[in-house]
Amino acid sequence: MSRVEAKKPSLCTCELLTKEIISKSLSVLREIVTSCYGPSGRLKQLHNGVGGSICTTSSSSFLFSNLSVTHPILKILTTSVQNHVSRFSDCGLFTAILCFNLVENFQRLNLSTATVIKISKHLLSLCTDYLNSESCGCRISIDFSNMKTLLCLVQSILTSKPACLLNKKEADHISTLILKAFLLTIPEKAKDHAILGKSIIIPLKDERVMNSTVLPGIVIEMPEVQLMRKFPIKKLPSDVLKVALFCISMSGDISDPGDGTLVISYGVSLESAVLDQLLNLGNQLISDHVDIVVCQKVIHPALKQYLHQHHIITIDRVGISLMEPLCEMTGAQTIGSLSLISPTSYGYVKDLCSTNFGSKHYFHLIPNDSTVCSLLLCNRNETAWNELKLACQTAQHILQLTIRQPLALLGGGCTETHLASFIRHTGINVPECILKVNDCTQTEYKIVTNAFCNALQSVACSLEHDKGKILTDRKYGHFWSIQPDFPSNVKWQDLVSKCGCGLYGNQEELNWCLLQDIHSFAPLNSSVQQATNSTGHLTLDCFTAKLHGLQVAVETASLILDLSYIIEDKN
Amino acid sequence: MMAMVATTAAGGLGAALQAAEALESIVSGCVGPEGRQVLYTKPTGDVLFSRDGGRLLEALNVEHPLARMIVTCVSKNRNVTGDGAKTFIILLCDLLRGLKAITDKERSSFGGSIQSQERHWKNCCQWKYISQAILTFQAHILDYIMAQYLSKHFLSIFSFSGEEKKFCRSSLELLLDAYFCGRVGRNNQKFISQLTCDYFYKCLSHEDGKNEMIDLVDEYFLELCTAVTGLPVSSSRIISGFVIHRDFSVYCPADGDMRIIIVTEAIQPALSTSGSELVVKSETQFQASHIWVTERTKTIMNDLQSKGIKLLLSSVKQQDAVIYYAKLNGISVVECIPSEEISLLCRIIALSPFLPSWATSQCHISDAALVKFCQPILLNSKRYVHLDLLSTHSFIPHCLVLCGPVQGLTDQHIHAFHGAFKVLRQVFKVLYLSYKVQGNIQNETSNSVTPKDNKQSHHLAEVYRALFERQCLGSVLKSEGNPSGMQSHLRVTPDLVLSSIESENSIPSTTHTHKIKGNFESLMCTYPNKIGISNAKESIVAIRCDCDGDSLIKIPDEHVSVVEQTCKISSCTIIGMTSKEVFQNASKSYCTSFIQAGSVLPVGGHFEILLHYYLLDYSRHCQQPEVSMISSLIANALLSVPKTLYKAKKGNKSFCHVYLRTLHALQAKQWMAVSQTGLESVACKYQLLTSVLHCLTKLLTIDLVIRINKQPQKTGDDEAEEDV
Repeated sequence: MSRVEAKKPSLCTCELLTKEIISKSLSVLREIVTSCYGPSGRLKQLHNGVGGSICTTSSSSFLFSNLSVTHPILKILTTSVQNHVSRFSDCGLFTAILCFNLVENFQRLNLSTATVIKISKHLLSLCTDYLNSESCGCRISIDFSNMKTLLCLVQSILTSKPACLLNKKEADHISTLILKAFLLTIPEKAKDHAILGKSIIIPLKDERVMNSTVLPGIVIEMPEVQLMRKFPIKKLPSDVLKVALFCISMSGDISDPGDGTLVISYGVSLESAVLDQLLNLGNQLISDHVDIVVCQKVIHPALKQYLHQHHIITIDRVGISLMEPLCEMTGAQTIGSLSLISPTSYGYVKDLCSTNFGSKHYFHLIPNDSTVCSLLLCNRNETAWNELKLACQTAQHILQLTIRQPLALLGGGCTETHLASFIRHTGINVPECILKVNDCTQTEYKIVTNAFCNALQSVACSLEHDKGKILTDRKYGHFWSIQPDFPSNVKWQDLVSKCGCGLYGNQEELNWCLLQDIHSFAPLNSSVQQATNSTGHLTLDCFTAKLHGLQVAVETASLILDLSYIIEDKN
Repeated sequence: MMAMVATTAAGGLGAALQAAEALESIVSGCVGPEGRQVLYTKPTGDVLFSRDGGRLLEALNVEHPLARMIVTCVSKNRNVTGDGAKTFIILLCDLLRGLKAITDKERSSFGGSIQSQERHWKNCCQWKYISQAILTFQAHILDYIMAQYLSKHFLSIFSFSGEEKKFCRSSLELLLDAYFCGRVGRNNQKFISQLTCDYFYKCLSHEDGKNEMIDLVDEYFLELCTAVTGLPVSSSRIISGFVIHRDFSVYCPADGDMRIIIVTEAIQPALSTSGSELVVKSETQFQASHIWVTERTKTIMNDLQSKGIKLLLSSVKQQDAVIYYAKLNGISVVECIPSEEISLLCRIIALSPFLPSWATSQCHISDAALVKFCQPILLNSKRYVHLDLLSTHSFIPHCLVLCGPVQGLTDQHIHAFHGAFKVLRQVFKVLYLSYKVQGNIQNETSNSVTPKDNKQSHHLAEVYRALFERQCLGSVLKSEGNPSGMQSHLRVTPDLVLSSIESENSIPSTTHTHKIKGNFESLMCTYPNKIGISNAKESIVAIRCDCDGDSLIKIPDEHVSVVEQTCKISSCTIIGMTSKEVFQNASKSYCTSFIQAGSVLPVGGHFEILLHYYLLDYSRHCQQPEVSMISSLIANALLSVPKTLYKAKKGNKSFCHVYLRTLHALQAKQWMAVSQTGLESVACKYQLLTSVLHCLTKLLTIDLVIRINKQPQKTGDDEAEEDV
């Protein structure tokens, strides 16, 4: 009999956000997140205190997946950011900081949450409409014939991850590789809907970053034993190699006999029966002139030996993750049977060679014409490599998102300040109908707008970690930062050099002022596109990821504000 | 004696009120359009949002036995109507408060001379008396008022054009708007409501099939919804067709209509089946059997291909060989589909699973359905299978993709969506009232039997139990305690007449109460279980059982064509009076009273204010002080709902203004229902009120809560659902 234990009653907490413990833990987490943001963000070292591996990071996905947040409200916030990151890879910290700022700013207002939520929803729709409109002054469209902007996008992602520990030269090298790998995945002959290929990241830890490279095709690590043998390829120069791709085990294990019993007479060896079957299969492969046999699982050593004698190369234990790119690259079909193999299921590669990277040896399957490539990624140590891998995956994902929607937002805090000044400006004169729909007064609307814009601006301010002053201009509403110890008798123009995104310089008289003193003005939003062509380096953010991040942050903040109490089931 | 005291707690009004008020304080935060969200964490660590009163009350894990009883009552009501848990608690609380005020007043007029223990028992008896009175009141006067007075104010979500009855979309939207106002977060109410309405219309093939469609969605809502986290709520959408929450094992793109089959077992024959044994005599034999197995698989797959099958849906994992030959033959395969999805698929396309036969060379495909397309769909970073089915059902398959930043929120939306379909089911259903407008008063008095002693009643019970059994009551008894089943039963017998013949049970309640107490609760659990059957051949009998706790008495009536069984404790005076009252007022009409399908009233406590007005009116004209007392008690308690709803409103929209305006209009007979903000189902509201009254009577009849250390022994099936 199972032990029946009475359920403990749940714990009910109300008056949430005003509780000290909650507001305190919110602000602690906000400080952690804020200090990680941007290229000059501070790194965090995560370790479990009992000798586990140490992770040095500044990225939201490592941070939130490793922090054990206990309070339900914080959990909501972190899972919300994690879900966003799992969808869009980028802008996790942006979402988190904006959400924290919104919650704290809104909670300080002495208004009913219903009003705040309604108005902030309206403000969000203003933002999304503006960002999606043609006249938006902080987005640029990406021209795929010009690699410069794409490269800027990738570089911005890499530089925003300081835990990769890359210098300028290395960052440029990796960015070029990422872009190259991405371009290799785009099919040449585009049909009505093109399917992007795959670039596989191969880890090469404890190597110089500059050794990283991109190879077309697939690179598979070679086991030590095979090194001893000579490469037995008897290949004609113009010939292609025939590949057989097995997804079932070829180790000679006995397959599932079904639900009944198996009665085996004395002297009958099932193992040898199965091995015979494998060797028969070997014979078929030889007669079909197969050159390479790749198996997802294990190949029986006897079969391996037999195939080697007939100059067939065997590669086994490649794992499930490589099977799909292998199919795609070779055009083969994975074989799930040890007998009756159809000749149509074989595929082809152009060549196979062996290469060395560092101390390791690799098979390199070179395709005829394929969208599969391998990115061999090097970095100095484990944790930096992990961070670099994450940055590469993010960049690849961002490039995919960008090809779907070829737009980018200005980075470096300029989008936030520009958007804030736009929202402030629209808040000066609100039509009566909007107030009526949202059931609020003009003053209430202004207060909420102000809190909303301040939250956006403080996301931009989080980029500055060295006590520098933040300026903004009254023409474009961009973000400018200056040294903390500036002399008081100098004009702003001489202190600033370039805005956050790098679009504007100090040549023009832009009427700067401190960000916190800004009053509403109409930000100029024309001629962004022309300006991009004239300037050198730009900091860019992925449009889709940032737009969604903005939406998720506002929605999550509303959710948290709307909470009246918490019921915790402590069973 | 001391030990006894330590393990008991007083039941009755005071304790019940305490428990209910504790629950009320929890629930009141999320009532109505101004209500806020509640976060609750599961023991598993999941964090969920909710505004569903029932879910929240269950999440509380309350320890107090009376509170647990209330929560059980709430859950029962919510399972039927899909809504109303919060209103339930508020109403119950106010009823208890009202009762307390009355008894306090009486006590102060008595003076406190009686000893406390004695007074306790006396109070219990009094409460029991009141609870009986309330039950009778509900069955007769409340139903009567609903049918006679309130019904003329009802709006309908149907629009009548000539003979044809169509439901109008704007009303449906208003109804759903009002429902979602109380169920999801402020930000998304309008959006989710609109989405649900769209979904309803997209899935509906024709109006007559709406009940079937609603039942299907209600049953399979989990399969029809896909939660996507990490996207804003506004990305939610409806997709036509059906989404299988699995990825392709093999995907072979194909154009045009394609034939599909469903399998529920492995296609590849096993070497041995269970119960048999395979004798391996030599290596070659073993190899040969392996080759045979592979060959069979190949033949079956080739055969499927030759029959034009393009998609194979399997509920189990298939062998590698099956996958391989499927790929060679250009057949897409989806494996490991959950059984619920398979059964839903089978229902939508009326397809039975394919059984591969290994003996013959040709396999016989009895059933293959057509799909318009079948392609991968990316949801929640997972690849799923998207089928466009050609439905043979009144349900046109559509799936709902609900997005949200966190799973807790999408979960809330899915549950709210489910509840919406429950509400819709209630709306489209005729709700029969127990009050029957009957012409012949003589019928009642002549046939009612007053069992003076238990012997006689026992005798009668024997006789009519036999009669019962002869009439094949098996089916009836099965549907006991299942109100929805009962109603559908009633619907198929349109000429059914419900009897409201009363029997009078003149057992002096004061002396019997303590005996009755034990059984009362179990009886209450099954109440109301009115079951109607009609039998064309035999003269049909109306039986009404009045239970006094000790015996079951069944009283016949040869003239009425219904068997009705109502478990009820009734007291002589109340019954006699009420039936007379009822019949006097309603003797002109002959129709069965019911709430019409599609009856709605505007939201914002209009149902409550209207009912309040008529109950008050009734109590004013009523000569019986008890009835008048109960009537005004319920009338006043009803106001607590609009009071809560308008709590935050000021000025013209405040409760007093709304209340006085409505009352004025009613007195001038000019009250018109205007549906600006939303509508709510009358049937749901009415069921809610009756459930509250039943819960109240249940609570009042408990005088003492005794903590025992062992499991309470089950005395019958009826008690199984209540473990206080």
